[in-house]
Amino acid sequence: MTDDVKITNRGWESQDHASEMKSELLELNMGPQHPATHGVLRLLLQTDGEIVYKVTPVVGYLHRCTEKIAEGVDYKQWIVYTDRFDYLAPVTNNHAYVTAVEKLADLAVPERAEHLRIVTAELSRIASHLIALATFGLDMGAWTPLLYCFREREEILNLLERIAGGRMLYNYMVPGGVRYDVPKDNWVADVLEFVTMLENKKLPDYNTLLTYNKIFIERTSDVGIISKETAFDYGCTGPVLRGSGVKFDCRRDDPYSLYDRFDFEIPVGMGEMGTVGDCWDRYIVRVREIEQSCRIIRQALETLPEGPYGTLELKKPVKVPAGAAYSRTEAAKGEMGHYIIADGGAKPFRNKVRSCSFCNLQVVEKVGVGLMVSDLVALVGSLDIVLGEIDR
Amino acid sequence: MEPKAIFDLLVEHLGEGSAEFREHDIEPWACVSAARIADAGTFLRDDPRLEFNQLMCLSGIDWDGLDENGKGKSTAILGYTGDGVPEDSDRIAEGDFGVAYHLYSHTQRHKFTLRVRVKRDVAAVPTVSGVWSTASWHEREAWDLVGIRFADHPDLRRMLLSEDWEGHPLRKDYRMPDQWSGVPLKGQPYSENPFTPDAPAADAPAGDDTPAEG
Repeated sequence: MTDDVKITNRGWESQDHASEMKSELLELNMGPQHPATHGVLRLLLQTDGEIVYKVTPVVGYLHRCTEKIAEGVDYKQWIVYTDRFDYLAPVTNNHAYVTAVEKLADLAVPERAEHLRIVTAELSRIASHLIALATFGLDMGAWTPLLYCFREREEILNLLERIAGGRMLYNYMVPGGVRYDVPKDNWVADVLEFVTMLENKKLPDYNTLLTYNKIFIERTSDVGIISKETAFDYGCTGPVLRGSGVKFDCRRDDPYSLYDRFDFEIPVGMGEMGTVGDCWDRYIVRVREIEQSCRIIRQALETLPEGPYGTLELKKPVKVPAGAAYSRTEAAKGEMGHYIIADGGAKPFRNKVRSCSFCNLQVVEKVGVGLMVSDLVALVGSLDIVLGEIDR
Repeated sequence: MEPKAIFDLLVEHLGEGSAEFREHDIEPWACVSAARIADAGTFLRDDPRLEFNQLMCLSGIDWDGLDENGKGKSTAILGYTGDGVPEDSDRIAEGDFGVAYHLYSHTQRHKFTLRVRVKRDVAAVPTVSGVWSTASWHEREAWDLVGIRFADHPDLRRMLLSEDWEGHPLRKDYRMPDQWSGVPLKGQPYSENPFTPDAPAADAPAGDDTPAEG
């Protein structure tokens, strides 16, 4: 039964006793209460010794049936629920949803609002990537970077609190604009100062602490390799797809908002420490994306136009004509899509959410086979999933 | 490639009459007969002019109230009464079920939308998980929440809800069960809510807040 599984982990091919000592498969539960599963995720493993022969992710512990709630509330009332999908980067979720509603309702957004959306979304993306670095390091046994990353994330939370009012969940965007203008207390200068500090001082710190740490590289390079074809087949998007060497980013290749006006690179995995598509590649893509987000924020703030920050009065409901549209945006963890079917009424007929982590997680069913249990932790950590978005 | 040109290639492969094109929607889409969907998917993926190597999204839809062209009014889904109790209605929905497939090609950089519609009493569509692996979880979710069976799916279990859950919540006539595994799901009437300050719990003795002597 176990003969057809190829052991992909380094070192095991040469050890003859691994095949001699073959025994029966052990069923092992990883999670739902396990610190390395990033939330209430349960992985049902079949192992032989340290080698994983089958992985079955079991999800749904956080299920709230948000899509049913969407059919019962007004288009605007549902924005708060989008915050709760990827609670580490709520503004990018707001952006995905309002983009879909605007596409259906054919709403124009003032330029100042678009700039503010991009700045807050990129700040949110940096915060999410910082957590990804921190928890991935923690999974690999590096405790210190966690404290550093959370310190910088705190700065971002403070900045977003000043503009949006909330610390974790913002409910910041509305169809046709944003809810609040820039606060009067020197906010723009503070963001620019933070971005410069992050780029020049903090990122080199993380690189010294974690990225080019010998132990970290040994633990993550050549582990959990996702090939380009597998990534396409399993619908992987975001840093997972780019880690496999595919230069694709919705912000550049399927532009929405005003992203096509700004100059930024798309970092991809190049197999610098091992093979293209290994855990280290997915990690380094996030580090480099933080730099690119800093560039976008700087450009968006330096060219921040004057004018209104929203077109609709906040209390008026949005008028959406009958029709159906799928709209996708680049959220922190991948492609966030909304398929909204409208019947012309005040509430959507159907709102399907295509969440990035849902598709990215599925790939462990294939790539996790043949890894050691400790390397499976590296694989799941490098995918950077958030369960609020998988279970919806 | 434009959606119309993609559709022409698809019809050339499937034969006349097995697909229709609707271009007057916000997004143009093609309606394919359910029996041919796996065939259409394989063609769209493998044809060198099309190369749809990624399935972006697969959505299960309960079309109750809306016809093939998306016209009509949806009936209100069941909510809660003023007392916090789920509404009790015997309405049985009659509309069709549908599945929508959103495809993207990373090599040709074009998109396409396919839709399938089946009668409510059939409620089964062939699986495309053999064409795009990502469809496997999406189809499990559609089975779980909308109750569309995907024929020949290798592992059609519930995705998000518990295995012993009854019903499919995204159906328009879904009625919330009163309880699940002994856990009451019916809300309590607001008047009997023990958490409101002016309604003390019935079993609490009067004058509870005076300190006991001794």
